[in-house]
Amino acid sequence: MKQFLISAMVFLSTSLALASETITVGVKGMVCAFCAQGIEKKFMAQPEVAKIEVSLANKFVKINFKDGKRLSNDKISEILKDAGYESKFE
Amino acid sequence: MKFWVFVFLLVSSVGQAHPVSYKDAVSLVSYNTSEMNEILLTYSFTSNLAVAGTYLRDTTSEFYIPRLNWLVKRWNNEDSQGNIYFSAGSGIEKFEMKNYAADLFEFSADWESRKYYIDFDHLYISRSHNKNILIPDQHYNFTKVRAGLAPFLADYSDLNVWLILQAEKYSYKSNIEMTQFLRFYIKNTLWEIGARFDGGGAFNYMIHF
Repeated sequence: MKQFLISAMVFLSTSLALASETITVGVKGMVCAFCAQGIEKKFMAQPEVAKIEVSLANKFVKINFKDGKRLSNDKISEILKDAGYESKFE
Repeated sequence: MKFWVFVFLLVSSVGQAHPVSYKDAVSLVSYNTSEMNEILLTYSFTSNLAVAGTYLRDTTSEFYIPRLNWLVKRWNNEDSQGNIYFSAGSGIEKFEMKNYAADLFEFSADWESRKYYIDFDHLYISRSHNKNILIPDQHYNFTKVRAGLAPFLADYSDLNVWLILQAEKYSYKSNIEMTQFLRFYIKNTLWEIGARFDGGGAFNYMIHF
């Protein structure tokens, strides 16, 4: 029984770790649709990214990663820099 | 007069269509009036440096001018963005089956928020000949100021609408020419319809790939 519980906990924790993750990042200087389009395109070119939501009104990008995948904050900052903007993490 | 239309087209940058875009971006811009057509193709190989090629045709000349666009400084603020650009290019003017050199240098600065927009441009062009009687000046300066207002705030996927007023000053003229534009854009496509206060119209578009 004890072994079953431990196995179940390991399975659940692994499943949670591999589940898709979403992160919201603030973007400084993103004021127009062309800005947003560039940011969307740069992120969608990343194999780890499943979906991007850009909000000019709220000045953020919401990055939805593929299952078990993730980009580091440094990488996200680098992508935004390539797009010409600055990241702002909460 | 034709040459000044050419200058107008060469520097009438579509608002918020920056000379340098995101890394690996390709932009196609076209400026059109009843007398002229221009196609400008730009590739940004970093987020602050781009190479561009201009082709322009009017009733007397054709211009082929490759150029480099440099984002000198960008301010990414919470609710706005400011930029300073410098461009330089050297190409040819094809006139009566002969080629002549044409060089350009341009400085521009802009500031924009989601509601307001202002742009300043100064252009210097040097041409190697004055054989075209319609465009006799070889060296000149041109200054342009644009101000825009968005009557409502639209988000990324919505249709954005802007009202733009443009003032132009040529070094050889004492008056300032004014043009009003109505601009629309959605996602990666932008188009403008313009009317000069002294008559004439314009249609511009831009696509980011």
